[in-house]
Amino acid sequence: MTTTTFFLFLMPILAIILLAVNLILSPHNPYQEKDSAFECGFHSFLGQNRTQFSISFFIFALLFLLFDLEIVLVYPYVVSAYTNGIYGLVIMLVFFLVLTLGFAFEIGKNALKIESRQVYNFNYKSWSGYSLIYN
Amino acid sequence: MSNIISIIQGLLVIVPALISVAFVTISERKVMASMQRRVGPNAVGYYGLLQAFADALKLLLKEYVAPTQANIILFFLGPVITLIFALLGYLVIPYAPGTFISDHRLGIFFMLAVSAIATYGILLAGWSANSKYAFLGSLRSTAQLISYELILSSVLLLVILLTGSLNVITIVESQKAVSLLLPLLPLFIVFFIGSIAETNRAPFDLAEAESELVSGFMTEHSASIFVFFFLAEYASIILICILNSILFFGGYLSIIVFSIISLLDLSREDTLFHVLISIISSSPINLAVKTSILVFVFIWVRASFPRIRFDQLMSVCWLVLLPITIAYVILLPCVVSGLLINPVNISLL
Repeated sequence: MTTTTFFLFLMPILAIILLAVNLILSPHNPYQEKDSAFECGFHSFLGQNRTQFSISFFIFALLFLLFDLEIVLVYPYVVSAYTNGIYGLVIMLVFFLVLTLGFAFEIGKNALKIESRQVYNFNYKSWSGYSLIYN
Repeated sequence: MSNIISIIQGLLVIVPALISVAFVTISERKVMASMQRRVGPNAVGYYGLLQAFADALKLLLKEYVAPTQANIILFFLGPVITLIFALLGYLVIPYAPGTFISDHRLGIFFMLAVSAIATYGILLAGWSANSKYAFLGSLRSTAQLISYELILSSVLLLVILLTGSLNVITIVESQKAVSLLLPLLPLFIVFFIGSIAETNRAPFDLAEAESELVSGFMTEHSASIFVFFFLAEYASIILICILNSILFFGGYLSIIVFSIISLLDLSREDTLFHVLISIISSSPINLAVKTSILVFVFIWVRASFPRIRFDQLMSVCWLVLLPITIAYVILLPCVVSGLLINPVNISLL
């Protein structure tokens, strides 16, 4: 067993030990109110969650997928930049040009903006020069 | 025999890491108390030094609450995943020359992957609690973590361009002449902002905005599973400060001592003084000092800045920081290739 393998096993063991200490040593006397969902001062009631949520979160996750893939695809070029030379650079730049156009399109579509009810949001206030694109 | 040695090695890394987590919480409370003209914890142990251990002990003896409407298995699995993957990052950290657990060729990739999986723990914990505060908190936290992870990985891309290697030790050793802070100063600032956001720290701790979302994704968690989130948060703070100092400040190398050696031309002499100075120039104390300063800056930032709004947080990430880093990703390879100064992986020389 190498040290790396042991380290990979040590973390779950540590977590299980801490959890077991808690489950064994602590008192446990539940009743209905204690085990219900947290609510500020009132009776909690079910059915408020696991429903719709803002589409912005989904869009951010989708765009993260694209951009992370893009960066991961550039990693091989970056590690071998010395051997690839100018040819590899040109290919990388073409690749990035397409993605930058897509990014500009996303900004223009306001896909990267979460609607706020406050009038003065960040871009509006301090980047008024860019407001044609951002707002 | 080798099994015993590897067990000792693993414990030698993880026990100090957990103890340092305890002391970081203490130092945070003490520093913030000084900044707000209070005394802070001072009763337990000398100067309140044992406060964190007392807190951890208390939390381990508290009653655990398993809400009836929650998915119990995922509810307990989420914090465990977060803790495991926050601590696994310590696997590839070089503390001094030859002092590491794993010298993997793709160490940086390993750290990125591990920090990405830690997001799943938060998502699972918030979703499985089946409470609207936890659900909204985990949505916010996940969106924030994945957005800022993009910035961290694209800054890492440029660090790898200038060092030519994905190995953490090679990245450190490449900075013997000059630390990467000098060529990449704007990116260091971007990376530091990104690392504050990635660890859910104060100006960006929207997931647990107390006035809106009680306690974010950990609203329903109590006792030891809350300890797991707590440990994971502070362990990832220390880890990302270590990563900052490795990428931009030369890790365990001391740039000042190296410049003294080269200025005084000491490299040829073989005296005791020379041996001493070469020990100092690459000792773990350098890494510890750099990391401590960065952790202090984390606390300082928390004491100084008010929390921003969620839409502002996302705008800063996608419309300000990301275009800056993408511009650098295009500019830097062009400069490096245009001036014919393509860096080489020094471990291949």
